Amino acid sequence: MEIIRTENLKKVYQDNGVPVEALKGINLAINRAEHVVIAGPSGSGKTTLLNLLGALDKPTRGKIFFEEKDFSGKTKKELSEFRLKNLGFIFQAYNLIPVLTALENIEFSMMLLGIPEKERHERSMKLLEELEIEDLADKRPGEMSGGQQQRVAVARAIVNNPKLVLADEPTANLDSKTGGKLLDLMERMNADKKITFIFSSHDQKVIERAKRLLILEDGQIVSH
Amino acid sequence: MLLKLAWRNIWRNKRRSLIVVLSVLVGVNAILLIDALMNGMLYQILFNQISLSVSHVQVHKSGFNNNKVVQNYIENPGEVEYALNNNKLVKSYSKRVITFGLLSSASNSTGVYIYGVDPGIEDKISIIKESVIEGSYLSDTNRDIVIGQKLAEKLKVGIGDKVVAMASRPDGSIGSDVFRIAGIFKTPSSEFDKLNIFITLTSSQQLLNIPGKVHEFAVITNDYELSNNLRNELKSTLTEDYEIQSYEDLLPFVIIQLDIYKESLFVINLIIGLALIFGIINSMLMSVFERINEFGVLMSIGMKNNKIFLMVLMEAFVIGTAGTIFGVISGYLINIPLSINGIDLSFFSESLESLALGSVLYPQLSLANFVMTLLLIPFISVAGAFYPAFKAIKLDPVNAIRYVR
Ligand SMILES: Nc1ncnc2c1ncn2[C@@H]1O[C@H](COP(=O)(O)OP(=O)(O)OP(=O)(O)O)[C@@H](O)[C@H]1O
Ligand SMILES: [Mg+2]
Repeated sequence: MEIIRTENLKKVYQDNGVPVEALKGINLAINRAEHVVIAGPSGSGKTTLLNLLGALDKPTRGKIFFEEKDFSGKTKKELSEFRLKNLGFIFQAYNLIPVLTALENIEFSMMLLGIPEKERHERSMKLLEELEIEDLADKRPGEMSGGQQQRVAVARAIVNNPKLVLADEPTANLDSKTGGKLLDLMERMNADKKITFIFSSHDQKVIERAKRLLILEDGQIVSH
Repeated sequence: MLLKLAWRNIWRNKRRSLIVVLSVLVGVNAILLIDALMNGMLYQILFNQISLSVSHVQVHKSGFNNNKVVQNYIENPGEVEYALNNNKLVKSYSKRVITFGLLSSASNSTGVYIYGVDPGIEDKISIIKESVIEGSYLSDTNRDIVIGQKLAEKLKVGIGDKVVAMASRPDGSIGSDVFRIAGIFKTPSSEFDKLNIFITLTSSQQLLNIPGKVHEFAVITNDYELSNNLRNELKSTLTEDYEIQSYEDLLPFVIIQLDIYKESLFVINLIIGLALIFGIINSMLMSVFERINEFGVLMSIGMKNNKIFLMVLMEAFVIGTAGTIFGVISGYLINIPLSINGIDLSFFSESLESLALGSVLYPQLSLANFVMTLLLIPFISVAGAFYPAFKAIKLDPVNAIRYVR
C-alpha cells in the first residue's frame, strides 16, 4: 500500500534573485514499510526532497499525496499537527534538546501529543530498553557521543509510532562502525514496527545496504 | 514539562540569566526604595501635623475654623466632654483655648497663635512637651510660657526672660499679661515653631477673660484610621452648634498629596518596569538566536507555535519572578535599618523643616506597593519576552535547522 507519492514535484529557490532549480520534476511512490535510501552527490537536491516530503517546505510546483491525500493546501498549524502525528525526523545533527536528558527528549515529543506523564515515562523507558540504550536515559546530549545522540534521536523519532520517518544523512557525522549500528537499528525498527523509513545519504556503505535506492542527480531521479 | 524546560534553559547561560535577575532585582529595589521614601515622607508630614496640634478629631463651635476669633468659643464645654467621655473610640482629649495675639519682648514683637492648654493632658495629645529643647515644659504655674526656637530667636529671648502677650477679649477690650519663658521647643516644623506659643489653660482664660470656656477639643482615637468613624459618631451625638472634623478634613493638602502619590505609584512602577523590559528583550533575543537550530528541530517534529511562544515567555517569567522575589526580599531587608534609623537629611533640613518633615526621614514601605511590585514586574518581564517569542515562531524550520552560527 502506498504511503507517499509525488507528482511532478519542482522546487525553485531564489538565491539572491537568481533562481536555482533544486528539484526538476520528481515522480516517486513509496509503499508502507519500505526502507528507501535517496542517494546523490552534494547539491543534487536530497535535503530539498526530504523537506518537501516532510511537509517542512512547500513545493514550487507539483503535488505530494500522503495516504492519497494532497497536503499542499494545509495551513502551517495543520502541517505541524500532521507532522506530529504521522512523521518522525532525524537530522544530521542538533537533534536533541541539549538541556533535557535522553529520556526527557523522548518524552517531550509525546508531551506535544498530549500523552499523560505516566504513560510517557513508561513508553520512553520501554523504547530505550528496546533500542538497548537504557543506560543513556539520564544523560544529556552533551554527555553522549554522536552515535549515542543519533540513537536517541531515532527513539525520539519513532516513539509516537509515526507512519513515516525521514532522516537526512543521519550517519554523516558518525564513523562507519557507529553508522552501521545506527543502520542496524533503523532496519530493525523497520522490520519490527513496519515503520516506513526514507533517508538520504552519500555514504557508500549506506547505499550498499539499501533495499531500495533512488539516485538523485541535479534535481532529477536518475535511477529507481 | 515546558516549565522544566524553561527552567533548564535559564541555567544554560547562567551569566546572562544572572545579569537579568540582577537587573530586575535592582529595579525592584529602586521601586521599593522610591516608594518607601515617598510614602515615609508623606506619612511623616501627616503624622507630624497630627502630633503637633491637629490630633485626630477636633471639635469647635460652628464657624470657628473660618473665623478664629475669641468670641467663637464653645459655650458649654461640659456637653462636649460628656459626649467624649462616653465614646469608646476616644482615647484621650485636650481642651484648648486658641486665639491670635501679639507677643512682645524687650526688643521685638510678633503675631502668634496663643494656645492655652492643660499641661498634664496636652502631652498625651501633642509632642510639644517632648520637643522642648531648653528649659522645661509648662507647669501649673500660671505665668509660664513655652515658645518655639525660631520665635525665641526673633524675639531675642531665652529661658526666664519676660514677654508680654496681648489679645482681644470677647467684649472688644484688650487683655494683656506678662509671662516668663519656661521652655523653648523645636518641632519638625519650623513654621509651626514661628507661629505658636503655649500657656496654661487657666492663664489663657484669664488673659481673654473667658473663665471656663475653651475653643477646641483635640481628640485622639485608639487608631488614627478610625478618625472618620469617630467624627461621624460625634456628629450624630452633638448638635449642629459644633463643627467636628477629622485630620483628613483639617489637612486636605497632605491628604491630597497622599492620594496623588498613591495613584502615581503605578506610574513609577511602570517607568522602571519599562526600563527593565529592554534588558529582558535583549537577553531573550540573544537566547532565542542561540537556539535557532533547536527551534528548527522542535518545529519540525511538530511543536506548535503557541507552545514555542509559551516556552519563551515562561523563561522570561521565571527569570522575572526570581528577580522580583529576590528584589522584594532584599528591598525589605534594606528598608529595615533605614526605617529604624532614618536617613539624616539635615543637609536640606531648612526646606524640609518648613514642610513639617523634620531632618530625619524614616522610609516606610507600603504593603500596596509591595504587592503591586510582586505582581507587576513578573508580568512586565513576560511582556518583554513577547517580541523574542514572536521572533522564535517566525523562524522557518527548514532554514532554522540548516542555520550555521
Ligand atoms: N534555501 C536555499 N536557498 C537557495 N538555494 C538553495 C537553498 N537550499 C538549497 N539550495 C540549493 O538547492 C540545491 C539542492 O540543495 P540540497 O541541499 O537539497 O542538496 P543536497 O543533495 O541535500 O546536498 P548535500 O549532500 O550537500 O546536503 C543546491 O544547489 C543548493 O545550493
Ligand atoms: Mg543535504
